[in-house]
Amino acid sequence: MESCKQLEAVRDYAFEELTPADRGAVERHLPQCAECRQELDHLRLTTAALRVLPDVEIPQRIAFVSDKVFEASRWSRWFTGARLGFASALLLAVALVAVVYRQPAVVPVTVAGAGPSAAAITLQIDDAVTKAVAQVREDDMRMTRAALEVSDRKHSEEHRNLLLAVEENLTVLEKRYNTLTSLSAAGFGGGQ
Amino acid sequence: MIFRAVEDADLIERVRRGDVEAFNLLISRWEKRVYNYLLRLTANPEDSLDLSQEVFLKAYQNIRKLDDAARFGPWLYRIAHNEAYSMFRKKRPEFVSDDAGFADTQAAPGMALDLSLAVTTALDRLSADQREAVILKVYQGFKFEEMAEILQCPVSTVKSRLYTALDLLKTQLAPVSAKGN
Repeated sequence: MESCKQLEAVRDYAFEELTPADRGAVERHLPQCAECRQELDHLRLTTAALRVLPDVEIPQRIAFVSDKVFEASRWSRWFTGARLGFASALLLAVALVAVVYRQPAVVPVTVAGAGPSAAAITLQIDDAVTKAVAQVREDDMRMTRAALEVSDRKHSEEHRNLLLAVEENLTVLEKRYNTLTSLSAAGFGGGQ
Repeated sequence: MIFRAVEDADLIERVRRGDVEAFNLLISRWEKRVYNYLLRLTANPEDSLDLSQEVFLKAYQNIRKLDDAARFGPWLYRIAHNEAYSMFRKKRPEFVSDDAGFADTQAAPGMALDLSLAVTTALDRLSADQREAVILKVYQGFKFEEMAEILQCPVSTVKSRLYTALDLLKTQLAPVSAKGN
């Protein structure tokens, strides 16, 4: 016996692969063709039976990107430990050089009181050092604040991820429940 | 589904701009599905976990090569398919493609045991190509066009594999289904 020519369209219809126009054509055809109605029933029963095998939870989360996420950034890696000390020392040295460079040249005159005294120079150096140290501390504070902000953002993102995962799990559970309900209605639980 | 596609595309754009956390979020969305796809292909939880890690690593390394961010799903599964078959080839001669299957798949708690066993056995009897078509359509919910992209074959071939598989499954599962009615 030759099969109905609409059989493939009916199969595509079962998997929601048709355009609205083609769907309409199949829906008009079905009441007139017992073979296609039977095929549709069989497909639905077979796919429902296949879905008794559920998805399983992944035994452990994929970790390699998480590791990278929690690695320090290149910027923060640079500003750690010895490098931070070196940077501070360098900044201090530059400040000292700048102070000395900006000092008027010491003219070798012997007239008393014509140039800055040694005490005045010491004061200027002390002042420059104090400013440089304050600058380094301010930079440290700024970097610490930035690191805290990044950390807060990460925690917020993690929280959001967790909520999304919970939401997805709930959706899956809902789908499973619906599948179980439909299977139960179709009589698949009767073999227990 | 459309909402999800838009969000994935947005995350992919962020990943391309160097936002690793966006990729982490993409992983959290896809890892379970990819793992289950690989588990159904390989029937081995350890291999599936290792392969899943490889899949996401490759996806991260190659995400700039993805032309259309809206096609992330099929693109990711294409990587997963390739990784699985690459592993199958390495395992030769022990591996015979048709031997991989559902042997270790657990039945849903509370389900009729005979139906779960019948489904597992019936899926095991399919060829690897037919089984993968069923996995991608019935368990993963891909469209024919997406399946063709993943399997790198024409839509007509995808449909042929799927419908042949379903005909075989229908024959094998019919007695069990009838018994349950």
